[in-house]
Amino acid sequence: MFEQTKRILKEIGCDTYELTEVKKNVWEFYFIRHKLDQNRVVETRELEATLYRPMEDGKLLGSASGPISPTADEAEIKKALETLYYQASFVKNPAYTLTDKPVPAIESKPVDVAAIAKDFIEAMQAVPETETERINSYEIFVREITKTFENSNGVTSVVTYPSSMIEVVVNAAKGDHEIEIYRNFTSGVCDREKLTRDVAAAMRFGTDRLSAEPTPKLGTADVIFSTDDAAEIYDYFAERMNAQLQFMQLSDWTPGKPVADYTTGDRVSLLATPTLENSSRSFPVDGEGALIRERYLVRDGVAENVWGNRKTSQYLGAEDSSIVYNFVVSGGRESADALHDGDYLELVEFSDFQVDSIGGDIMGEIRLGYWHHDGKVEVITGGSVSGRMQDVIPSMRFSAETEQYDNYVIPKETRLYGLTITGVR
Amino acid sequence: MKAPFSAYLNGIAPKMQEIVDALGRDYDYVSLLSTDSVGFSVGMSQRNKSVTNETMTTERGAVVRVYRDGLYSEYAFNAFDPDDVGATVQELKTALDRQLAVLKATNTPVYTTGALPDEPLELFVEKETGRLPEDEDIESLVELLQGLSDRGMETIEGIVDCMVRTSSTHISKMFVSKNRFLRQSYVYTEGMIAAFGPNEEGEMKIASKGVSGLGGPEILDGLEGKLAEVAKLMPELLHSERIVPGEYEIITDPGITGLIAHEAFGHGVEMDMFVKERALGAQYLGKRVGSDLVTMHEGALCEESVTAYAFDDEGTLAGDVTEIDRGILVTGISDALSALRLGTKPTGNGKRENFAHKAYARMTNTVFDSGTDSVEDMIASVQHGYLLSGTQSGMEDPKHWGIQCIVAAGYEIKDGKLTGKVVSPVIMTGYVPDLLGNISMASTDRVVEGNGGCGKGYKEWVKVADGGPYLKTKARLG
Repeated sequence: MFEQTKRILKEIGCDTYELTEVKKNVWEFYFIRHKLDQNRVVETRELEATLYRPMEDGKLLGSASGPISPTADEAEIKKALETLYYQASFVKNPAYTLTDKPVPAIESKPVDVAAIAKDFIEAMQAVPETETERINSYEIFVREITKTFENSNGVTSVVTYPSSMIEVVVNAAKGDHEIEIYRNFTSGVCDREKLTRDVAAAMRFGTDRLSAEPTPKLGTADVIFSTDDAAEIYDYFAERMNAQLQFMQLSDWTPGKPVADYTTGDRVSLLATPTLENSSRSFPVDGEGALIRERYLVRDGVAENVWGNRKTSQYLGAEDSSIVYNFVVSGGRESADALHDGDYLELVEFSDFQVDSIGGDIMGEIRLGYWHHDGKVEVITGGSVSGRMQDVIPSMRFSAETEQYDNYVIPKETRLYGLTITGVR
Repeated sequence: MKAPFSAYLNGIAPKMQEIVDALGRDYDYVSLLSTDSVGFSVGMSQRNKSVTNETMTTERGAVVRVYRDGLYSEYAFNAFDPDDVGATVQELKTALDRQLAVLKATNTPVYTTGALPDEPLELFVEKETGRLPEDEDIESLVELLQGLSDRGMETIEGIVDCMVRTSSTHISKMFVSKNRFLRQSYVYTEGMIAAFGPNEEGEMKIASKGVSGLGGPEILDGLEGKLAEVAKLMPELLHSERIVPGEYEIITDPGITGLIAHEAFGHGVEMDMFVKERALGAQYLGKRVGSDLVTMHEGALCEESVTAYAFDDEGTLAGDVTEIDRGILVTGISDALSALRLGTKPTGNGKRENFAHKAYARMTNTVFDSGTDSVEDMIASVQHGYLLSGTQSGMEDPKHWGIQCIVAAGYEIKDGKLTGKVVSPVIMTGYVPDLLGNISMASTDRVVEGNGGCGKGYKEWVKVADGGPYLKTKARLG
């Protein structure tokens, strides 16, 4: 289909383009308790075409993109491409260029979806359960994805990688009172040991929540984040360095300048990296054919490099930038234990913890936390936490120990000072 | 005009029927959903302009559902040779047999379910639309959107950009089984204007308003009026304060009313959650969950919105269910398999993100009924509280009935009057029966909106719409 599409592009006079074909072989298994509810196979391939159109003596570059179905015949492909080429003439962006740097051959390991699926099923069957802590349901998704890229500068690449997800719901019960804990784990393949550990932790949280008291009206409190929700905090740092946000003037972080007026806190170092062991997005080339280079986005609290698509990266003068999928945050100066000084609220479960990358707002309804005060620990639930990243970055502390959550390696514990806690008692 | 049904789907219909017939020799139930939906997304701002021929719901492909020995299996594909139907049939059997081998090797037991009914029905529906996305004059649309962005920059003080985003999709879906042949076609469109500006502390605020509905790009004409609303909202947000956390009397505008409907008793009564014992709602059927003023409807037939289909993705006709009747929980909404397992009737709520995804029980239009109060009387009745407006996000909690809604702005009310003070953003939390039980007033008007998408947990994004009147209740705000 590549060759047919390229021939038609030549016929219609389009000499600047990007073509990406994505093939997916997906195995899915849905369980209620440990019984199979449904099994599914998805086998698809789709070509995405982006057509570019130089205008006004090369000062402007228009573009339009769309899918080409594998069932499309010659006439349909031609009509789709002609439409895109026509539409591109109305998209008047300042000129930029497509990548012209050749990509070395990428070695991809074969993906055995059957073996990975079997690992997930067996791992879940082996999770220890008790009369009061058990698996409610789970959904397993194992994907073999192959992306083939080619642009009009002759840059080509092919990557094949595994991408898996398992959604797990566990229950903890005391009499008629039952608690649900929801988890959505993503990874490359099945890491049985980590999955078993994470599901066991979810069950423990469920049991703790059974005895939780309503969150007190604390006003403000120092909060420790010790689960994957903390990745939201560090994603804020990554997004602030995204070329799109920078170009749109939605981020004012400037390379070479500190990201905050630091006081006592740990300074974040955030590394963008092409590959990360068992990440669900571990490959060395981005969706626009550019090699992904390892580089710091923020180092020791100072903004360093932007990342993102070619268009906005070039507008910002970052010619060798790329889209990035994996991030590593360096550990802090102290151990996790050292962060546990004084009173603090450790929050481990939310309805949906969010950090707004544009406004900096921190928000989440509390489903489970531990209020450490006066030498005691109270298990709490309800109410909400809120604050602003701009206010907490100067004093935030994080542990030397790190933990991987799919495509993010982050400090195992992060302490933010003076967040607002809306309590319910 | 009628939104014409896909010529492609009409062309392959006999071949799809052949697939169903061929598989019928090996399986006890076979159905097939085939889709061909086209559309555009156009976005214009001062610094970024884009056109794609994709939307959240554009797709072309098919999914086959087969049933044997108590087990339902599915095979989704989008490469299909109409001259070699046998190859597709064989690929399906081979793929599913490979999965069964893994299931056998792991001694996986099956959640045994009966065969779905397959009552004879033929249906052909082409809904009305003003224009079609595939015929839209993109040049004129780009001019319209760029003009709106330019005027936003001229008229809204202190902003760094004004973005206008639109999309329009022409849906065509065909359901084939041994006894059913259903075809439908409709168009829905949505658009949004968002202005971005920093406040005095450098914190970026976003003011946005949208339009949506069943119909073609003509719906985007409504964006003109939304620009003035964004222009009014932006300075309010720029001068907004942080709220003092606490419990307040609140009045929700129709958008926030819809968010409550969606998160509180939308997700809470999706009956696939009943099958898994994941929803508290199953224990409250026939019991009080809200005040007498609370009546809530759900169904694709409730409103001609972005999700007003004629049949769902499992071939069940669209419905209109009264979920809550004057405060009493009556029923939930279900996909076909959940209904079969629960011994209830499917309500036409089996939806897929697209052909490649599983069908779940999902919302369509989730709407509170109107009341008898005026908004002015509602405001006058508040001692100290907030009028909440502008949906940012929400999250369901069907097992415990907690609710989280992120709201763009709260307008302070003191002694029955709006004070002019605005707080932003606001996180509203509470226990659903308390929130609905405290509803004491509802306005006479009603608005249903359908911008954006809805996930189940953190995946499976589908189009939904929700709304209702202004409501007065109490909630915790932070």
